[in-house]
Amino acid sequence: MSSKKWLVTFFATLALLGGGVLAFNFLTDPFGVFPGALWEWPSYEMTLNPRSAKVSYIQEHHQEYDSYIIGCSSTSSYPTEQLNEYFDASFYNMFMYGADMLDVEQIATYLIENYTVKNLVVGVYIDNAITYDTLPDERSFAIQPAVTGEDPVDFYSRFLFMDPRHGLDKLEAMGENTYAAQAFDVFDPDTGAYDKKERDAEFIGGLEDYLAAYPAFAAYPEGYRIMDEGAVAGTLESLARMRDLCGERGINLLVVCAPVYHEYMAYFDWAQVEDFYTRLAQVTPYWDFSLSSVSFDPRYFYDETHFRNCVGEMALARIFGDGGVYVPEDFGAYVTADNVSQHLEEMAAARPMEEGAYTAVVPVLMYHDVAEEGDPSVTVSPERLEEHLAALKGAGYTAVTLEELSAYVEEGAPLPEKPVVITFDDGYLSNYQYAWPLLQKYGMPATIFAIGINVGQTERYKDTVHPITPRFSYEQGAEMVASGLVSVQSHTYDMHQWAAFEEGQARENILRWEGEPEEAYREVLARDCQTLREEFTAGFGEEKVNALAFPSGQWDQLAQVVLLENGFDITFTTQPGDNTLVRGMSQSLLGLDRYTVGEDTTGEALLALVANARG
Amino acid sequence: MAFTSLAFLALVGAALAVYSLAPRRLRWGVLLLASLTFYWLGGRWTVGYVFYTAGTVYLSGLALGRLNRLRREAPPEERKAVAARCKKQRRLVVLWACLLNFGLLYFLKYWNFTAEMLQPLLDRLGAGGQLPVSHLLLPLGISFFMFQSVGYVIDVYRDKYPPERNFGKLLLFVSFFPQVVQGPISRYDQLAPQLYQGRDLDWDQLKYGIQLALWGYFKKLVIADRAAVLVETVMGDPWSYGGAVQAAGVFFYCIQLYGDFSGGIDITRGVAQMFGIQMAENFRRPLFSTSLTDFWRRWHITLGAWMRDYLFYPMSLSKPLGRLGKWTRRHIGGTLGKIIPTSLATFSIYFVIGIWHGANWRYIAYGFWNGALITLALLMAPWFAAWKRALRIDDRAAWYKVFQVLRTCFLVFLGRYLTRAPRLLTALWMIKETFLHPQLSDLWNGTMLTLGLTGFDIGVILAGMAVVVAVEWYQERGGQVRLTLERQSFFVQWLAIAVPLAVLFCLGILRGEYISSGFIYQQF
Amino acid sequence: MEKLMQILTEACPGVEFDGQTALIDDGILGSLDIVTIVSEIMEEFDVEITVDDLVPENFNSVQAIMALIEARRG
Repeated sequence: MSSKKWLVTFFATLALLGGGVLAFNFLTDPFGVFPGALWEWPSYEMTLNPRSAKVSYIQEHHQEYDSYIIGCSSTSSYPTEQLNEYFDASFYNMFMYGADMLDVEQIATYLIENYTVKNLVVGVYIDNAITYDTLPDERSFAIQPAVTGEDPVDFYSRFLFMDPRHGLDKLEAMGENTYAAQAFDVFDPDTGAYDKKERDAEFIGGLEDYLAAYPAFAAYPEGYRIMDEGAVAGTLESLARMRDLCGERGINLLVVCAPVYHEYMAYFDWAQVEDFYTRLAQVTPYWDFSLSSVSFDPRYFYDETHFRNCVGEMALARIFGDGGVYVPEDFGAYVTADNVSQHLEEMAAARPMEEGAYTAVVPVLMYHDVAEEGDPSVTVSPERLEEHLAALKGAGYTAVTLEELSAYVEEGAPLPEKPVVITFDDGYLSNYQYAWPLLQKYGMPATIFAIGINVGQTERYKDTVHPITPRFSYEQGAEMVASGLVSVQSHTYDMHQWAAFEEGQARENILRWEGEPEEAYREVLARDCQTLREEFTAGFGEEKVNALAFPSGQWDQLAQVVLLENGFDITFTTQPGDNTLVRGMSQSLLGLDRYTVGEDTTGEALLALVANARG
Repeated sequence: MAFTSLAFLALVGAALAVYSLAPRRLRWGVLLLASLTFYWLGGRWTVGYVFYTAGTVYLSGLALGRLNRLRREAPPEERKAVAARCKKQRRLVVLWACLLNFGLLYFLKYWNFTAEMLQPLLDRLGAGGQLPVSHLLLPLGISFFMFQSVGYVIDVYRDKYPPERNFGKLLLFVSFFPQVVQGPISRYDQLAPQLYQGRDLDWDQLKYGIQLALWGYFKKLVIADRAAVLVETVMGDPWSYGGAVQAAGVFFYCIQLYGDFSGGIDITRGVAQMFGIQMAENFRRPLFSTSLTDFWRRWHITLGAWMRDYLFYPMSLSKPLGRLGKWTRRHIGGTLGKIIPTSLATFSIYFVIGIWHGANWRYIAYGFWNGALITLALLMAPWFAAWKRALRIDDRAAWYKVFQVLRTCFLVFLGRYLTRAPRLLTALWMIKETFLHPQLSDLWNGTMLTLGLTGFDIGVILAGMAVVVAVEWYQERGGQVRLTLERQSFFVQWLAIAVPLAVLFCLGILRGEYISSGFIYQQF
Repeated sequence: MEKLMQILTEACPGVEFDGQTALIDDGILGSLDIVTIVSEIMEEFDVEITVDDLVPENFNSVQAIMALIEARRG
């Protein structure tokens, strides 16, 4: 072909190929740098590049928010719901993993200059004294030119001429997306925070178990960190500029220093720490949570450097003086240039609290039917039950309600010396006939986990001909609840079915069927929770339906997450074992273990079990 | 400004467009403007050095031109006297031009090294004081454009051609944008007329230019940039690897260097060709060199030629060396006696070539290595010839050629340890490790995949090199790639566009650092 | 001429000089060869050859070399 024809062919091919790649990268936009991609998936994009993807998100959704909280990843743990309540505002969490103060300043300035900002919360982490103005990765850490003033050609060409595998990954991940957070989508785009719904549904209790699950804390890695004068100066200058900007615009600025795990804090030279915090106080007053008794308990941390959402809740409660939330005495201080030296002395003196001062060991007993006959390992005769109650009383145990457990954990209310929780599963009529009078006699409260659909069924399982052990009715239950000694809670409404007598696939437990779409499953479980709550509130006069015993003791992470979302924040397994409740950590009310007791268990044996739990 | 940046492509495109629209006599101005823009974007105020060099050689060129004319136009009876007087002045001018340029080059590139070396000496002598250290940025391509400019002055001194009277034009010769950063080191009489001519753009030249540039981009982006990752890993911390992996690092460095340098030159020549400008060849399939001398005739040709014309010849024919030659012939005699002065000059040249690369003991050693080997070969030539006769080796046998090529590759490979290792002693230690503790199993037990490249990437590099070797082999045997292509059907020709473009896109441009999304976010 | 041929074949054994017109341009003679040849010529013919003479045109063929020698002798 002629040279002219060759050139035309060349440029046509070039345009075709180049245009194809460009278009694909633009449309998939895995890093969330372009507005309005075809396959928009904010959570994925934020994971790949929290900075740009969040800016893109806010560009579209800024009307929904009027306040922002910005900082590095630890800033994720201050719940926006709580901020909204305290500030009476609508917060978005703009935190970015690995953020240095320059990132924070750039984003904050951009938001202030372009959108409505009433309140600005800036999270400071001790690492801000090490890094400033860094770009560890030119795609994951890049911010749009609109924010940074970078050359747009340079910036966008990085994303347009990028390996299309990034986009392919995104499409592939779309197929593998689950309700739970996965490595490729760790954000909750609505709040901007990390999607911690699973981490916050983990069963946490005894310290030993925690260390086994998180070995990093058992053998904390050796290390040291040296503060960098350039980073410290840069961080403080950025903060000063933000302070001035907020002052000019009448924006409410709150600076919060994040809790640091004590062994990580030990990486630093104390003189440098003092220097950093002192100079920080000269720039702006701040709330400091860096080092306190909380820093010493790994259960308050997701990992070596990130504190849990529940700790963020305590911090905010301290700032806003919320008396309804438990906050350890030494947790948090308002630091100004005047009191900083005194504060640093207190900080240096921070020590762990005694276990007993903020944790409690609570054994839980699990009964079923109360009858003379039946499987002696689970069924108990009224006589044996009475023997149990008497033995407990005699040994100085106090039966407590679930509400008391909640109050201990959430508000820090006291628990009696030797607490024990008594529970009955399934909602048998015998609970009403035999157990209730005994409970009344001994003045011991108990919780019954009834199956909603079976309430009042005395002869047959549902519409079948199959006989059923009789269950108490709504009237009978209401009578017990009214006495104040009994609480009827959930054993699911209808997710403890007998497979043999169900048409089609049965719900024998709360787990998702194999292959069942997550969406449908969550719907089913949510509806079950709702129906039960409505029925129990109306039928039993139960004020608060928030506890559930897993049918057949079966559970998984997803089930627990959905339950939490539906207001069931105390759950019970059928595993024998001790339970440690931790103040300020509502998660410690999840997955409580229970000792199965029956006719076989003598009073003595029962006391041994319970004592074991204390042990 | 990197050749691989979008901005460079944009600049080339814009320059081509304006060039074709501009009136013929202004076209060199377009090139000058593009060149200054290019340098400004890459080096900002260091563009001052370009003006400095252009200014000094411009003025000395004019002075030399005047002296040459004086000498030529002198009446016959005074000619001798005038010539003698002029000779002195001409030498003075050329000396100054060299001093002003190489002096600056020395200061910018070598002073810190010298200071570092002298400081302990000074300290030991108790002289006290601290030698000042330069913190000036090394301007882009300074070694290239200065050598090119000094070549111009020397040529004018030798009266090869009259000096350029238009400063702008000379500035263009010094700063022509495709070449200013990495050569080739052009000759004024070869390049300048083409720059000033203002030829119309021509479809053929555009096509050939694009093809050449594409080939260059292939070598640079697909092969060299990829290999760089592995090289970086191994050379950044050679102590962590066994000898075989170190050798692999050097091997990939050879590939990287060749791909990067020759690829860059192809882009340079390709871009120039789009404007209808033919630049000097800088690489002539060095992979097929049969000896180290041959290698230097094929590798970085223009540097070698510069050294030959402006350093080696004058040195070889200089009086002191001539006297030395006479002395050695008389007292040593034979081939050896004849060859000693030449060997000395040869050795010096390679030494200078070594230092030209940078201020560092490693480069000095590199120069030494090349100089020593070549000189040795020169001195030993009679013995070699005798051995060959004794062993009945036929010089023209194919297997002997292969042997020569492999031998040369091996020697070049060894030399590369010196230029790439972090320090000279490390380089020597690495060579020792390679032969004494290779830990060969590292090559297949997966260690190779921990060096920053996947098996796929390594495969791409090797396959890419195979393509390069195949094409060069074809050329070496006299094949004309472009002409052969042009004889093919439309479809094949289209494939020859689409496939390279696709390869370039998929394996070059779009490579970036691809991190699977699962890896980007690993830790809260 | 004969003397020149002798110098040439001695300096570059294995090179066929007869009929060649592009000894330099074709890369048959390298710079080392040139310098060896030139120093031999200066010695044997007692002429002075300067750097300016070392251009390809003067060494591309035996005739050209001879012409150079003649010119410098004159």
